[in-house]
Amino acid sequence: MPSPPRLTRRRLLTAGAAAAAAQALPARAAPPPLPDELDPELDEPYVDPPPDRLLQVDLPQLRYPGAWQPRPGVMRELARELRLRTRLEPLREPTVVTAEGPRLFATPFLYVAGEGGLPALGAAAERELARFLDHGGTILFDGADGGVDLTFERDVRALLARLIPGAELARVAAEHVLYRSFYVVDAPLGRTATFDHVLGVESEGRLRVILARNDLGGALARAPGGLPIYPCVPGGPDQRERAIRFAVNILLYATCTDYKADRAHVETLLQHRRR
Amino acid sequence: MNDPWTLALGRAPEPWLLAVLILVGGVALTEALLAFARPRAALTRSRRLLLLLLRLLGVAALAASVLELTYHVDRLAPAAARVVVLLDTSASMQIADAAAGEPPIARLDRLRQRWLADASTRERWRARGLTLELHAFDRELRDLSPRRLDDLDAPAIGSASDLTRALSQLDDPRPIAALLLLSDGLVAADPAADAALNAAALALRAPITTLAAGAPRLRDLAIHDLQAAEFAFVEDRAELRAQLLAHGLEGSLAEVELRQDGAPVAAQRVTLPADGQPIPLRFEFVPDRVGHFVYELVVAPQPGEATLENNRRAVIIKVLRDKVRVLHVAGRPDWDVRALRTLLRRDPNVELLSYYILRDREDSDREDPNAELSLIAFPTDELFSEQLDTFDLIVLHNFDARAHQVGRYLGDIARYAAGGGALVVIGGDLGLATADYRASPLAPLLLLDLDGDLGLSTAPYRPVLTEAGRRHPITAWIADPRLEGARLPLLDSFNRARLAAAAAPFNPAVLLAHPDGAPLLAVAEPGKGRVAVLTTGATWRLGFAPDLPMLDGARPYDRLWLGLIRWLIRDPSAERLTLDLSAAHVRPGEPVELRLTALTAGYAPEPEVPLRWQLRPLGGDHQPAPSDSQEIDPDRDPPPLAEGELITDPLGRAAHRLPPLPEGAYELLAERRPPPQGPQQAPAPPLSSESTARRVLLVDAGARELTDLAAAPGDARLAQLARLTGGLALRASEGDPLPDDLPLADDPLRAAPRVEARREAPLWDSAPALALLFLALGLEWILRRRAGLA
Repeated sequence: MPSPPRLTRRRLLTAGAAAAAAQALPARAAPPPLPDELDPELDEPYVDPPPDRLLQVDLPQLRYPGAWQPRPGVMRELARELRLRTRLEPLREPTVVTAEGPRLFATPFLYVAGEGGLPALGAAAERELARFLDHGGTILFDGADGGVDLTFERDVRALLARLIPGAELARVAAEHVLYRSFYVVDAPLGRTATFDHVLGVESEGRLRVILARNDLGGALARAPGGLPIYPCVPGGPDQRERAIRFAVNILLYATCTDYKADRAHVETLLQHRRR
Repeated sequence: MNDPWTLALGRAPEPWLLAVLILVGGVALTEALLAFARPRAALTRSRRLLLLLLRLLGVAALAASVLELTYHVDRLAPAAARVVVLLDTSASMQIADAAAGEPPIARLDRLRQRWLADASTRERWRARGLTLELHAFDRELRDLSPRRLDDLDAPAIGSASDLTRALSQLDDPRPIAALLLLSDGLVAADPAADAALNAAALALRAPITTLAAGAPRLRDLAIHDLQAAEFAFVEDRAELRAQLLAHGLEGSLAEVELRQDGAPVAAQRVTLPADGQPIPLRFEFVPDRVGHFVYELVVAPQPGEATLENNRRAVIIKVLRDKVRVLHVAGRPDWDVRALRTLLRRDPNVELLSYYILRDREDSDREDPNAELSLIAFPTDELFSEQLDTFDLIVLHNFDARAHQVGRYLGDIARYAAGGGALVVIGGDLGLATADYRASPLAPLLLLDLDGDLGLSTAPYRPVLTEAGRRHPITAWIADPRLEGARLPLLDSFNRARLAAAAAPFNPAVLLAHPDGAPLLAVAEPGKGRVAVLTTGATWRLGFAPDLPMLDGARPYDRLWLGLIRWLIRDPSAERLTLDLSAAHVRPGEPVELRLTALTAGYAPEPEVPLRWQLRPLGGDHQPAPSDSQEIDPDRDPPPLAEGELITDPLGRAAHRLPPLPEGAYELLAERRPPPQGPQQAPAPPLSSESTARRVLLVDAGARELTDLAAAPGDARLAQLARLTGGLALRASEGDPLPDDLPLADDPLRAAPRVEARREAPLWDSAPALALLFLALGLEWILRRRAGLA
């Protein structure tokens, strides 16, 4: 049976990225683009439905007193990658929320970035964050230090000790479905590759908290011209692509939980690999 | 008078009282003796003797009063040798079998013939002093009139025979000289019970002479040793095993049928082997519905069978859901998908099969071909064609069916839903919004008018509970007074639509609505299935909000979805009318009570509810009722054996004792009585299956009495009893006569006469005794006065 006309938002996004790059070039000297990071189909036409006809998901980032945004716009970039690669429909401009603000419970996902430490958020804020987790929310902590400075990790541990008494950040095993919720990922790479695993708090069969320590935001961050801001070390563009894949996996895990651990999927994938 | 007598003390006196009594008596008697020995002028010798006698009498009367003397006279009976005759009156004694070269005859009749022929022998027994007593036994021991000793006239109708119990019930203290057992030997539940039987026989300490009633030639088919699990699971293979026992039918073909509530399920043909060789039977079946069912093995009768009562065996099997098998298909990942998946995964009774569309075709076009993806193809044909009927519930979650090659299966899904399946369609920006179901075979079942542009509205709104929603088990909790003042969270996804006129025959109910009145949650029962349509993809917000109105610790999201799922799959816990029986498997005539419980839409006890119930036979002549929630259909079902109406008490309960029932399988149906109809109104519409309950009842003897009817095992058991106790083993089929010298117990103690009766006469507790006392003492005193001695 023929399919009705489908949306081709990918074309809009890629064209939009090209247009943004063209506008940005005279104003700012961007680092030379890496060939493999350019989209080969920038000139394709674009058709997309009005946003209010889409059931979109937000990827909110927490604002707090301090370095809450070490990699500005990283959620926008992740939303773009998700739209390009998956059927998720993230908001083009993810929101910024505060722990005590009314929008915290608008989405059961929260991105918390930090660099050089995470200040105390205050009792009221922490109470709301605890309730957020208790109701089923997922928090992704992202340390922009990339493993150089463990202060952020230390502060996150302290915060979680207050939010979820008794819970502790633990290594998320390489077999966890987080590493195959969309892509099959070997390691949780970011701008750096210091750690070969992420930490997490798992309860009732799901990760409630994920702590990425390889500066995932640094790998995703792009300048207004659309080019990466930070080089990925030591793997370069390949590492960046793998970091993006891991970030995609995190969001697919957040929305589908352990869907890819279902027996039907595991068996089918194993059969394909044997072939 | 030869009867022995004794004097007995009524009580043992205190030592001091006895001493006083002896002293007083001694002094009185000594003084009387001295007075008698001493001649006096005033008293003649005869007068002195009279005084002495009066003194003796007075002392004796005083002693009798103080010691409460009682006079006992025993009546002794001669030590007659008591012979107990035990007659087996269980049903197997009616079985007709034959000795070589003779026509078949019922076992009891064969015994009677032998008994009548040996009348002279019994007379000689009596002449020797033997006393015969006749008892009958089956499940219990009972006395028979001595007149029956002449003809053994007693019906053999007992549903089973238990000789061990009968022997233990011979509790007459009189010793037994001999026991004559008239039986076919089928008197124990199984060979393992023989040890108890032998022990009971030895405890009698009397020889047991047995007269076996069976004969070697038997023609019979029997279902034996039926074994089945008490529970089975829907859509899961279940097994039922039994043995077929055949006698006298070697080489014949027999057809064995498995029936569910009287309807054939499977059949097997077997060639019958030589006598008594059991044929294992094994039937597999796959229950397709939840409920209680009578599964019965029936072997077609052969000409000339001794009995047809053993040609069938039945058992009640409760069919459960193993796990609720849910197919969850989503058009794109989002928070609503995550919430429903989390809920379903949390329930260990749910077997969840999920397929989420994670990327589009253009996504894959762009993808690095070398990227290793954890994606698999969408197995549409397997899911929607091959396995469709294995699902208890299908959830199409914001799913654009046509874009993913599922459009061709929408007809199958419609057939599934109308045929007894459960379907939920959840809105969003795909599926309902993109007209994927418009003009499809599934469209009429989705209850909504899909012809317009449903689109997607993301403006926040608060769901409104409708009047139908207040009464419906899915949403009645929202009207719970404990939630008064609390409001449901705002939702932000809505496909605006109206109910389709074409859905009217399904009697759809809108339980939740948008503030503008458009349906938000609509449910219906098209055909045999159940369907729910949600025109929002944002119910997840009912479980994730800062100030959720909790009820009994549960989030609104959980209450809504668990209620919805239970209703969709007809979970018994979601039924508002339950029917239970005091026992589901009883013997004929045993009382059975039906118990009904009615709940309100909010699952609280519902008082004053008029209910009606019916009892119907389950046989092969009518279609079986398909499930525990089958509607009462007078056109389809047989007429009821009994029916009635009940009103629930303040706790929502009602009960009724059923009349005694003969053997057979029955179904009990109960439902809320429809409201009375005015004379101008149309007949009441069919009741919703939601308000109907059903149970099955099996009435049978439940024993093995008529299972293995071969004579040989019974003969062997009787011979063993005789050998063990020192009796004789006789066979009526071989013409063995009753012996003149019936083996008797030789215990010498048994020959001693026994006290048959005892008469007691209190010597102290009567007016004559008192009068005698006063008369003796008074008269002595008067005589002494006259003689000038006192």
